[in-house]
Amino acid sequence: MKARLKRIVAGLAALVVAALIWLPCLHFFFSRPVSEFRQELGLSPEARQLAARHLQLWTEPALRETELNKMRVSNAEWDFMGRSYLVWSLANMALRDPASKPLYLRTMDQIIDETLRLEKQEGMYFFLMPYAKDSRYVMQPAHSLFLDGEIALMLASRRVVEEKPEYKPLLTERVNAIVERFQKSPRLMLESYPDQCWMFDHCVALDAIKMADHLDGTDHEFLIRDWLAMAKRRLVDPKSGLLISSFETDGTPLDGPEGSSIWMVAHSLQLLDADFARDQFQRARKELGAITLGFGYAHEWPKSWPGMPDVDSGPIIPVFDISAGSSGMAFIGASAFQDEEFLKSLAATVDFAGFPNRTHGRLKYCASNQVGDAALLYAATLGPLWKKVETGTKPR
Amino acid sequence: MKAFWKKPAISQRAEFLSARDMLQRAAAISMLFLLLHLAGLREFTGILNGTIGSLTLGWNLSAFLAVIYIMFYLAFVILVPILVLAAVILAMGRRCVQNAENPRITSDANS
Repeated sequence: MKARLKRIVAGLAALVVAALIWLPCLHFFFSRPVSEFRQELGLSPEARQLAARHLQLWTEPALRETELNKMRVSNAEWDFMGRSYLVWSLANMALRDPASKPLYLRTMDQIIDETLRLEKQEGMYFFLMPYAKDSRYVMQPAHSLFLDGEIALMLASRRVVEEKPEYKPLLTERVNAIVERFQKSPRLMLESYPDQCWMFDHCVALDAIKMADHLDGTDHEFLIRDWLAMAKRRLVDPKSGLLISSFETDGTPLDGPEGSSIWMVAHSLQLLDADFARDQFQRARKELGAITLGFGYAHEWPKSWPGMPDVDSGPIIPVFDISAGSSGMAFIGASAFQDEEFLKSLAATVDFAGFPNRTHGRLKYCASNQVGDAALLYAATLGPLWKKVETGTKPR
Repeated sequence: MKAFWKKPAISQRAEFLSARDMLQRAAAISMLFLLLHLAGLREFTGILNGTIGSLTLGWNLSAFLAVIYIMFYLAFVILVPILVLAAVILAMGRRCVQNAENPRITSDANS
């Protein structure tokens, strides 16, 4: 009996010592140099593999249908956002890898044309969650800034890479409609869902307007300046200093700051107000970003404004309070603001817990989905598009 | 003949929390994980972000398969190395104790 007890105590002690050795070392098996995920020039191996998988989806309709249907069961928005992120990624890739530009442009056009066709054929509710039909939009006729902003940014991105005359009137029409609604809105707050406005959608729409100015010589600097001033005054959580993620048309907050939104918002702001953008990223990094035992992740809510798990946050992993949605979007923030330590640790996490599947030079993360992988691809390629607009280089 | 049919040492039931017990558990987890992996259950882990693993199998079965896979994956990458390391630590500890005891036995025998 005594010998048995002695053996068990020795076994448990050995397990504790082994755990203390192994757990801090685990991340070494998943960590790779940042250059494997993102490179300053050209395309990283990760970007090439992720892109190869997405290009396959757009050349094999049956495969695409299966992937999109799996997402649409949960959220029709993901189908739409997966298209947007892929088009924006391909725009950056075309600027990074001119040799493959014709392929990327062809795919971008295919996605844009199909998205516009579906929007026209099925109506705007096709890409929205069902609750969009539950009540009436405050501003009539009903428009969703979510759709208009992202479609405008898709069209503008395509044109920044290379002019396509057919898209010029489509972008102008979309941008004019957004600007007109901003002018009608007393508080510069536009709906994505009935009486529900999203920070993410406003920033993306303003990026599209900024790009349209760059492309077509229009000038909406006053609108952008006024909107930024309003957002800093009315839409910032006083405790964390972070922009809130959703609000009503009168400015009443709906959700506080959210990780699934703020990382992309900070990146979008880079084109509108670089100092404010960096301030938002640094605050988000402090409030939401975390690295434990070499693995990076992000919370969905700051301590000052807790929330409930939803379709954007994804499931929350208890104890560490890890949000799949926020952690995925954190790649965009870390990449945009060149936070290499955070980016490297996030990449280690996604290789550890994202269940990568690499076959025939194609990569997908099984724990993710098409929109998640497209957002990762965007994080791995972003940069040249914003730079081209900032430096004022016009497409040929 | 009886000796011929004797089970190999590794497959004999080991004492709980002994080094051999830990190695047997590590091997069992690794084998099961390998089987689940080869069966393609990795595809179901999309449930982690709220995406259904298979439209044909539906939510419940997809979620069940995902949970099974994730548990064995975590056991494989976290628990298996810990079990193997612990087994090595125990074996080394045992050897140290034996080395410490052996000279005493030898000196006892000489006296």
